[in-house]
Amino acid sequence: MPEPLAKKVLLIGWDAADWKVINPLLDQGLMPTLDDFINHGVMGNIATLRPILSPMLWNSIATGKRAHKHGIHGFMEPDPQNGGIRPVSSTSRKVKAIWNILTQRGFKTHVLGWFAGHPAEPINGISVSDLFPYATAALDQPWPLPPGAVYPENLRDTFTQLRMHPAEVTEAAILPWIPRAAEIDQEKDKGLTSFAKILAENCSIHNAATWILQNEPWDFLAVYYNGIDHFCHGFMHFHPPRMDGIPEDKFEIYRDVVNGAYRFHDMMLQTLLDLAGPDATVLLVSDHGFHSDHLRPRGIPAEPAGPAVQHRPFGIVCIKGPNIQQDERIYGATLLDVTPTILTLFGLPVGSDMDGRVLVQAFEEPPQISRIPSWEQELGECGMHPSDLRMDPAAAQAVLQQFVALGYIQPPSEDQTKAVASAVREANYNLARDYLDCGRPDEALPLFEDLAKNDPKQSRFQMHLAQCYLALNRRDAAKQILESLITADLNPPAEPASQAEVGAEAQPAVAAEVKAEEVASPDAIKDDATPTETKPPAPRPWADLLMGIIHFEEGNMDEALASLLKAEQSDPRLPNLHLRIGETYLRQKRTDDAGRAFQQALEIDGDSPEAHLGLAMVNLRKRENEAAAEQALLAVGLQHFLPLGHFYLGVALARMGHRQRATLAFETCLSMLPGLVAAHRWLAALHSQPGGDLDKAVRHRSLYAQLMQQRKTRAQV
Amino acid sequence: MMQMLAAGGLPVLTDGERQADADNPRGYYEWERIKLLPQQPDSIAEAEGKVVKAVTQLLFALPPGRDYRIIFMQRPLPEVVASQAEMIRRRGTSGAALPPAALISGLTVHLNQVNNWLRDRTDISILRVDHHDVLRGPVAIAESIQKFLQRSLDIAAMAEQVDASLYRQRVSP
Repeated sequence: MPEPLAKKVLLIGWDAADWKVINPLLDQGLMPTLDDFINHGVMGNIATLRPILSPMLWNSIATGKRAHKHGIHGFMEPDPQNGGIRPVSSTSRKVKAIWNILTQRGFKTHVLGWFAGHPAEPINGISVSDLFPYATAALDQPWPLPPGAVYPENLRDTFTQLRMHPAEVTEAAILPWIPRAAEIDQEKDKGLTSFAKILAENCSIHNAATWILQNEPWDFLAVYYNGIDHFCHGFMHFHPPRMDGIPEDKFEIYRDVVNGAYRFHDMMLQTLLDLAGPDATVLLVSDHGFHSDHLRPRGIPAEPAGPAVQHRPFGIVCIKGPNIQQDERIYGATLLDVTPTILTLFGLPVGSDMDGRVLVQAFEEPPQISRIPSWEQELGECGMHPSDLRMDPAAAQAVLQQFVALGYIQPPSEDQTKAVASAVREANYNLARDYLDCGRPDEALPLFEDLAKNDPKQSRFQMHLAQCYLALNRRDAAKQILESLITADLNPPAEPASQAEVGAEAQPAVAAEVKAEEVASPDAIKDDATPTETKPPAPRPWADLLMGIIHFEEGNMDEALASLLKAEQSDPRLPNLHLRIGETYLRQKRTDDAGRAFQQALEIDGDSPEAHLGLAMVNLRKRENEAAAEQALLAVGLQHFLPLGHFYLGVALARMGHRQRATLAFETCLSMLPGLVAAHRWLAALHSQPGGDLDKAVRHRSLYAQLMQQRKTRAQV
Repeated sequence: MMQMLAAGGLPVLTDGERQADADNPRGYYEWERIKLLPQQPDSIAEAEGKVVKAVTQLLFALPPGRDYRIIFMQRPLPEVVASQAEMIRRRGTSGAALPPAALISGLTVHLNQVNNWLRDRTDISILRVDHHDVLRGPVAIAESIQKFLQRSLDIAAMAEQVDASLYRQRVSP
């Protein structure tokens, strides 16, 4: 068993925290605690997973597993007690979270406010559910904690007292953020109400965290703050520079809220660090970023996925503590890496069924990593709810349907029925997208087929089904869907459909994300100050983009380019469009055009690993090896699991004469993509040089020959 | 059970809306409005001092502030599912879209949740009665009910209500 590398671990979750907002604040000295944190630890981007939906993401952070394994597939689930819906619950999680594993190994473990944390789990410590901070009544009315919000039950009264009600947010608390608050007409503008609600909820969570750190022994504490995400959903459109369409008076009133949110979190961080003490290892992570610049969307698509268009695919990760490097950057982290890293900090084995890896780069010395097949099979009390209380929400719904059919209970109301159907549909959609995102289109297919069949007007389902067919090399099926979408878009129905149908018909595909966190906090971000819900872009540009991809894969570069340029005409900011255009130009040997396309992709998203990858290829073509190496490093820095990035880096380094570094890059590439023929050929060549490893040269030459033979055989077949 | 309780001398809250049928040729003692308990929890006041029949799902809606006595009828779930399937077939409705084994599993979890919830309700007392025991020894069951309710009941009349011929959905031994 490896030695523990941490005495105790504090895991802090800042939903939606993003370096793009933080860096200017650090430069101005406005986040001094975080500045000191990263000077004494490591920092980096953390890549999110798709769909970018917080309950799924935070449970991936806590389990090291993707959503199809952990079972949390959305915000809401059917409620077997009332026939309606409820926030997704801890009884729906199918696998152990880090606090369960640590409970099983006897560590004093606490968790606060985590998504899908209700009812609180009976762990070896204190568990406070995500329903804890919400005020359910006016301040002068009773607002008891919901049953099951705190474990152990004898601390219920203590934690009840730790909550802050929005009505307790005073002028003194508001004015530093919104100095011109007095100018707000609160009859029309509910911005202050939203503000107070978010602030109070996060203060409640913070009070609970500091109480535990002050009063309880602890080995591990995980605390989740939703403040940055909620403040950003509510006020990012007032963040400087002023967006088109935002009235100047409102801009001036609310312009400092987002920065204020980050500075407030910095202050809370200082308290947590002081209480945790210098010997604690602290991880600060977010689940995704949040567009804060020219990429801010002008409207929110009117669909369950709407507000997530504001999310950026990279969040933050910072770690500091004993045995952790100081003032260093780490690269290629994903949400899935957090739990394996914490297990290694405690000297515990990583489950081989976990999808993440240990962030070894963060450690001063490479840590010893042990593995077991799975923590799920390890026996012992782990503080999960008993398995006989955990039920698949869909099964729970079926049981209710049985009672209705027997006439034992009243059928749910029309609203409830719709809400349940929507929750089940969105959960299936999210699950399918998770399968698609992790390269399992065969698992996604039946789900997308059902969704598209049951709800043919929702073009997002059709588009994902087309994508799924494409991933399965069923190009004809994909084409059929896309052609009908394009035709429908070119020939809209003569009579306008109802408003709801228009919204449904117009829903985009790949950009569609699930409605943000307001579900648990219904009016947290909904007010007349938020961007208006807009009709999402028509599906046609997406269809043209996918048609372009199909033509590309069929080798018809002219047709591919025509489709892609058509998509560009309709929506020049379509995600990945310029990457595809660049790749097509590369295939046509139009290197300069390709370079321009990848630069355009970077103008839209400066953190796109694929755009840097494309530029690395362009530079290699032009024999600009130093620039190629730089672009490839940027690409793998943003996304470590990018085998072609390591390959291009290897080629550039080899050409520059850095044989050892090139060898390492090719070996990294092959560890991710063992069948990449060209990497074997390069390694054979490098090892054949004087001072090389001749055995390895022979082995790679042999593997190269085998792979080429296989390729030839496949081609003949 | 409802017939036993009525014969024993207990007032039953029923509206007589649901007529006897092939599933229950001796009639139902049901009160339709109990189904609205989740929306109108205060309606339980009408059942004060009376017997009312409710499915487990509705127990979650019992408001606090009263003293409840629950006679919790238990039967092997495979029999329950088979019986429900037959009733649903006769009613012409459509039940859970689950195979019987999955439905049994779902009902098991549902009952665990109900029992877990009941454990936290100090205002509810429970007498668990096994369906098979009623058929095997109705007198003993009637006596246990009398003890549980702390009321004098007509034990003989209660026992006479038990008609083993209605026990159709047996699980094969």
